[in-house]
Amino acid sequence: MNDEKKPNEKAIRILISLIAVIFIISVILTVISYQKPTGQRVFVIQDNQVIYELYPESEKDREIRIDFPDGGYNIIQIQNHEIRISEADCPDLTCVKTGVLRSETLPIVCLPHRLIIRYAEEGETA
Amino acid sequence: MKLKRLTELALLTAVALIIFIIELRFPNIIPVQGVKLGLANIVTVYCVFQYTPSETAMLVVCRVILGAMFSGNWPALIYSASGAFLCLMGMLLLKKFLSLDYMWLDSIIGAMLHNLGQVLAQMAVMQSTAVISYLPVLMVSGTIAGLFTGLSAQLLLKRLKNSSIIK
Repeated sequence: MNDEKKPNEKAIRILISLIAVIFIISVILTVISYQKPTGQRVFVIQDNQVIYELYPESEKDREIRIDFPDGGYNIIQIQNHEIRISEADCPDLTCVKTGVLRSETLPIVCLPHRLIIRYAEEGETA
Repeated sequence: MKLKRLTELALLTAVALIIFIIELRFPNIIPVQGVKLGLANIVTVYCVFQYTPSETAMLVVCRVILGAMFSGNWPALIYSASGAFLCLMGMLLLKKFLSLDYMWLDSIIGAMLHNLGQVLAQMAVMQSTAVISYLPVLMVSGTIAGLFTGLSAQLLLKRLKNSSIIK
């Protein structure tokens, strides 16, 4: 009865190496994803619809208020050609804490308001 | 179910909730949705190895719902629920092959599955694959956090057993 409770050495070794591989790949991908963006266009997406297309290089400093249809808002701030969410009324405020959009692949996400700010891929249309 | 068993589970749920609330007060050093230590999972891992699967599932369901209630972050419920579900399934399945010396391994897999479940739910709700780029960060943080909570639970369970406070 106790047989299946005994540590299965081989299975454990496979499991540990699997975790190690995933970990190392993830570290590499994380480092890659924090590289400086090369794209020019930034999409502001809500509910899978592109609601703004921004060009950080040529944008003047300004703020955009985005109202979520089900209530709530986010304020996008463009300052010195950098984009961030400066204010929101979601409970976790992860979008505000994320800070400036500085990665090509990592978007600014506000989950409660289903808002994504990310760089557009080349040739991608709104 | 025996009354004693029920009381123990209720107590553990309360402990998990207290840890959860205290952890909410910690400033988040890495501002990525889902990156956290998940200290409340010490209780989950403990339960997986000490109680039956259905008892553990009851505890986790209560913890997730009450956690959303106490933190006031209802929109996050669907993400934490799907994460907790995947995590629990994986941990219960894997536990069959692992002894008490490998609780940390179970916990790491659980944490990874938890983060995977969260990202999948986010992709479903946002109807966008953009959030998947956070998966590597979450895998790294999940491995570290899972190792930490798993080791904590392992130490706790073994010491309690050695001191014959619990069977």
